[in-house]
Amino acid sequence: MDGLAPAEGWIGTRLLRKEDARFLAGKGQFLADIRVPGVEDVCFVRSPVAHGRLNGITKPAGAVFAAGDLPPFQPLPAGPDLPTYRTVPYPPLATDMVRFVGQPVAACLAPTRAEAEDLAGLVELDIAELPAVVDAREAMRPGSPMVHAGWPDNAFITSGANGGEFESMRAAAAISIRRDLRMNRQAVVPLESRGVLAYWDHRLDELVVYLSSQAPHVMRIGLAQVLGLSEHRLHIIAPDVGGGFGAKNRLMPEEIVVCALALQRGTPVRWLEDRRESFLSAPQAREHRYDLTLHADAEGNLLALEGEVLIDAGAYALWPTGAFAEASMAVRNLTGPYRIPAIRLRNATVATNKPPMGAYRGVARPGACFAIERMIDEVARALGMESAELRRRNLLTPEELPHRTAGGMRLDNGDYPRALETAREMIGLDAVRARQAAGEPDGRRVGVGFALYAEQSGHGLKEWARRGARVLPAYDTSTVRLMPDGSAQVLVGIQSHGQGLETTLAQMAATALHLHPDRIAIRHGDTAVSPFGFGTFASRSTIFAGGAAVRACRVLAERMKAIGAHLLQADPAAVVLADGMVRHGSAAVSYAEISRAAHVRQELLPAGMDPVLEATATYEPPESEGTFSYSCHAALVAADPLTGATEVLDYVVAEDCGTMVNPMIVEGQVYGGVVQGIGTALFEEIPFDKAGQPLATTFADYHMPCASEMPRIRIAHLVTPSAITEFGVKGMGEGGAIAPPAAIANALADAFRAEGLEFNETPCSPRRVTAALDAAGVAP
Amino acid sequence: MRLALHVNGATRTVEAEPRDTLADTLRDGAGLTALHLGCEQGACGTCTVLLDEEPVRSCIVLAVTAEGREIRTLEGLAGDPMTEALRRAFHEEHALQCGYCTPGMLVTARDILRRFPRPDEATIRRELAGQICRCTGYMGIIAAIRRAGEALHETAEAGA
Repeated sequence: MDGLAPAEGWIGTRLLRKEDARFLAGKGQFLADIRVPGVEDVCFVRSPVAHGRLNGITKPAGAVFAAGDLPPFQPLPAGPDLPTYRTVPYPPLATDMVRFVGQPVAACLAPTRAEAEDLAGLVELDIAELPAVVDAREAMRPGSPMVHAGWPDNAFITSGANGGEFESMRAAAAISIRRDLRMNRQAVVPLESRGVLAYWDHRLDELVVYLSSQAPHVMRIGLAQVLGLSEHRLHIIAPDVGGGFGAKNRLMPEEIVVCALALQRGTPVRWLEDRRESFLSAPQAREHRYDLTLHADAEGNLLALEGEVLIDAGAYALWPTGAFAEASMAVRNLTGPYRIPAIRLRNATVATNKPPMGAYRGVARPGACFAIERMIDEVARALGMESAELRRRNLLTPEELPHRTAGGMRLDNGDYPRALETAREMIGLDAVRARQAAGEPDGRRVGVGFALYAEQSGHGLKEWARRGARVLPAYDTSTVRLMPDGSAQVLVGIQSHGQGLETTLAQMAATALHLHPDRIAIRHGDTAVSPFGFGTFASRSTIFAGGAAVRACRVLAERMKAIGAHLLQADPAAVVLADGMVRHGSAAVSYAEISRAAHVRQELLPAGMDPVLEATATYEPPESEGTFSYSCHAALVAADPLTGATEVLDYVVAEDCGTMVNPMIVEGQVYGGVVQGIGTALFEEIPFDKAGQPLATTFADYHMPCASEMPRIRIAHLVTPSAITEFGVKGMGEGGAIAPPAAIANALADAFRAEGLEFNETPCSPRRVTAALDAAGVAP
Repeated sequence: MRLALHVNGATRTVEAEPRDTLADTLRDGAGLTALHLGCEQGACGTCTVLLDEEPVRSCIVLAVTAEGREIRTLEGLAGDPMTEALRRAFHEEHALQCGYCTPGMLVTARDILRRFPRPDEATIRRELAGQICRCTGYMGIIAAIRRAGEALHETAEAGA
């Protein structure tokens, strides 16, 4: 479809965000803003070594709790529920072993965090240090030290993916390109770090837990299990959450310990993670290693992909998902939107003495996109082709969709070549080539790079079950409630923390109810308010929560038609809903009158009509394998051969996320994702030394993208509505972050094409760029 | 110890230790929670407040050193024409997502407009270098500061 889809109701309008006012007034209610009298703050004592035997803890006088000072925790197995997966408990406080720098060992409580830190400073740990496992590839060699004693090797799980006629495809290849590629470990860095506040509410007889979380309902399941508490006595509230990006979607040890302390002490207990703790022990991300061979014929048709993917998952699996999603998604997504008929891939999810890996925007696909798109550029270089031309030749065409990839993904619809062509025109490929030929007056080198991806979203039961997920986020839930005055509340089980869902879900409900969005309030993030749902991650909330809200709205719409027709003495089949009224010709009755009848003037209802206007619905798309948004990114960079610094001069995105509920919010998600992806490409990394000590634990040594280094980003929208979702929406929250590492590394390689340089490791820091230049003997 | 702080045009007596930061004292002692903590080392700008009209990182200012000086937080900028223009423009340009960095961003943006009444994009990008936003990619923020600058200029022209 060309251009923007025609607007249906409020769908497609740039409605300004309903949630903005409180933040602009400085009245957001983030975890640290919640005031509870008598609260004690926690400071954790953490392991200073990456691997060791914990022989003893010497505690000062005061409120200091080690593992043995709390009631035993119940087991909480994490990671996929597969027989090939090795599970290992992650004790909330270390018992006999410590397995990464920053692992919580003891909790200290005091009236202020400063005093709790004083107390923590007096705790002495007796740890016998052991050799640390810090490199996933070395960890898989025989003779490596073991992270978990008794395992035959250091892998949580090894797996593979085979697809297509591999042997015949490989035999047909004219060229085969083998590369070692690496996306290094990084932090997620929501600007509000983690936090939890727990207390027993005596009136309600329940444990109230304020948790900076993307998924309060799911966290309740895990917390109840590990604490041995009944779920009807556990109330989780995710207040305003200052960013998540995947880092607040696992049940973490500190959260469990704070709840246990609140139960034991009977007083409110709080932990606010500081930035250094966040770098040490919050879920970390990426850290993929690829050894790949890509086979192609002499015309540049891609034939087959083979090799190995290693994921450095850190020391433990985080509940519920563990880190296996990373490896399985990396291999299954490696072929991207390309026609690569055969794959033979192995993967290993490797335990190391590093913090556990969690999810981060894009999950696995930034690494997979980086790997395949870099390889494609190298195939093009080997064949002397323009890389955009090689891409065009190998992208699946609209006529080939739906298409099942060699990795088993069902790509549903879209026009990938058109996205490439649009980005190519926007970045001005021909002009860049002319500019390169002329050279830069400042001696810098200019290069252009492309990358495409297809992002699965809205996937349902079959897809999650095949992954062995312990919880299957294959549906979501909404309760829609007409208030007696005709306004509406939409209660949803997701959690909006920057995505603007208080606005977009209101737009979807407004469209289905024919009611102005100002008359609709979205309520989320509180297990006592919302029906059960899985939370916000995996680009799922607009599809699932929006779909559930729309379905519930339709139930109410039918009932309001019946009541309205009765009040108008009209045939229910002859009335329509419009602008908050039921209309019959020139006669109309407002939702306020209808809802008043349904709630307090029941004598006005049609015979047999139940009072109250409230409906709950769940939603799962009818196609279980998901719907794919996609985009082509193109970057123009200038690299300084002297300093190795890379400047992004221009960045364009041609994207298609189906029907856009709110293009302004779509663009905001793309901008934010791209800048995070540029961070991965150029700046962000937590290196570890040989002893497993993290070398970036502050914003001084972990470089965040700032406005001064970021380009202006330009977006073109393509719109191919999904065939399987309400209004044709596709999930798109993560996509912006997927392609930038690939596009920028390709642009850098293009800048130094004459010297044959490649940039196969992120971030492409000044040091890595100058090292590559030095190795190639390039004088600045 | 007791400190008498001049905050948002009024004198407030708060309890503070010598080691307490201005950020913690404003948040916990004075209940002014608009400012947030993002790093506690002066790098992210989330805790920015005005001290004698100059923006400072309140997480690396000791509260005791703020005695006798004029402190203004976002709460104290309600009704300030420049801040109100910025609030409107931040809303219109989708300059916030999670909202955590927004109070510090607004305080810094106001200072940018005070020094550069109609800033261009390059100026805004340079001046925002110390303010981290993880959500927006800065695009909306930059557009909003420009828009507010233009709106204030038009208002001034109309009044002249």
